Amino acid sequence: MQALRNYQLLVTWQALRKKNYLPLMMAVQTLFSLGIVLGYPLLFPTLDRTSIYLIATGAPAISMVSVGLVALPQTVGEQKTEGSLAYMRSLPVARLSYLVADLTVWLMIVIPGVILGVFVGAWRFGLDLQISPLVVPAVLMVALTSTCVGYAIASLLPYMLTVIITQAIVVFVFMFSPLTFLPDKLPGWLETIHQMLPIQAMGEVTRGTLAPNEFGLPLGAFLTLAIWCVLGFGVTYAAMSRRG
Amino acid sequence: MLLEIEKLTKVYRTGARANDAISLAIGEGEVFGLLGHNGAGKTTLVNQVVGLLKPTFGSIRIDGRDMVANPGLARRLCSFQAQAQVPIDGLTPRQAIDLIGQLRGAPRVDVEHRRERLVDALELGEWQDVDAARLSGGVKRLVAFAMAAVTPGRVVMLDEPTNDVDPVRRRLLWRQVRTLADHGAAVLLVTHNVIEAERSVDRLAILDEGRVIAEGTPAALKARLGAALRLELVLDPDVLELPASPFGLSAVPVGNRLMVGIPTNGAGQAVAWAESLKAAGSVEEFTLGPATLEDVYVALVGDAGARPAQAEEVFDASAA
Repeated sequence: MQALRNYQLLVTWQALRKKNYLPLMMAVQTLFSLGIVLGYPLLFPTLDRTSIYLIATGAPAISMVSVGLVALPQTVGEQKTEGSLAYMRSLPVARLSYLVADLTVWLMIVIPGVILGVFVGAWRFGLDLQISPLVVPAVLMVALTSTCVGYAIASLLPYMLTVIITQAIVVFVFMFSPLTFLPDKLPGWLETIHQMLPIQAMGEVTRGTLAPNEFGLPLGAFLTLAIWCVLGFGVTYAAMSRRG
Repeated sequence: MLLEIEKLTKVYRTGARANDAISLAIGEGEVFGLLGHNGAGKTTLVNQVVGLLKPTFGSIRIDGRDMVANPGLARRLCSFQAQAQVPIDGLTPRQAIDLIGQLRGAPRVDVEHRRERLVDALELGEWQDVDAARLSGGVKRLVAFAMAAVTPGRVVMLDEPTNDVDPVRRRLLWRQVRTLADHGAAVLLVTHNVIEAERSVDRLAILDEGRVIAEGTPAALKARLGAALRLELVLDPDVLELPASPFGLSAVPVGNRLMVGIPTNGAGQAVAWAESLKAAGSVEEFTLGPATLEDVYVALVGDAGARPAQAEEVFDASAA
């Protein structure tokens, strides 16, 4: 019971700590989704059916990845620098409660943009998405994996390096990751790399559950995500529990 | 003793030996001061007690229980005000104190009651519902203290609690520190402010380069100095050689001042000596007063970092 109470108190703490920036963060990451859905057709006026579906379902995936792998590591890195993490670690609170509470707040930031992105995409392209009920675990899995991996990056690296790496991740995710296009468009070596990284799997489970009639749902992608999720969480948990 | 630290040694990966075989014991109801320059190893010590750092060697026990093996228990038994400014922007003091009080395991009603008392005692009422992002450093510091005191551990560790706090509220804060001890906590107070420590602590240890170089009550440490009085000579800037004390007690240069230990019966002789130095032009002015803990500190540790405010005053006076 104490763990549950602590979880609630920590969610309140973390949400209040972010409250001055929370609306702005939510707005910016919603704009990610909307920007892709509304901006891609300007770049490519004629899009085939598959590309349209890829863009409409890829936008929410990009939004989740960008929050988890970019905004989160930068914020957590800042908290590390200002002593916020050390302070929380000095409290009689299970590391797990703290981590799960913080991840909850990050999910609260991510989810509205995902939902809005899906609806605006369907409306913009006039799509009739046959959304699978599996979309709920799929979106949670993608959001959780990206936040866990992002947390691990911030836990392991010094702040400045985190900022630099996350900037590189932005370019990599937007331009060279099979989220709004299929992996076979990539050069062979990059395709191989993406089979091991979690980003491609994030795209696959998002589009496979948002538009199951258009794309298959490779179960292997869930497994890949699960492995990365556990890895990210484990690394973060170990880094938080470590005494210097 | 409630908190027992034995031969505590911390060597960082860089090879820096921040704590070197430190042994201390603090009892219930006691305010214990840990004094030392910046970098003397004070913060490293408290971070080990609260389980943020792992000792290289040595033991930490609270109520006889091993804290090195049980860092989780250490965090329950210790409440802690860190040296760094507490990161609470976005929260109001009321929210921050209440949440931390409950996270430390106390029921909400009790926490609210204690928060009200602390806010009144520290005169924080007008800022209670202001976002911490808009609070001054001193007020944030007091809020951080209240966060450590609202559901106090059996050991309360305060790392430089009065930094940035105005003189009036400092007094209020010291009163609350004493109240914590009166309610049975062992208070470990880390500071480099020797003057405040002298008035506030029951016992203290002076740390230098990671080692305890003196320990005892302020009175016992002053007695160790062997001088009941202190003659402070402001030297003429052109004087190259320090005057030799005729008393055979400590004579420590601090900036362009010389602090000379004087025995109780030596007051008349000391004034006469100082007058003669002044007449000879090697001393600009002098004061004679009771020896303080600061004199003990300066005698033991030297003047690096000590009396920075006075050193500045001297500089300003000569510049003018």
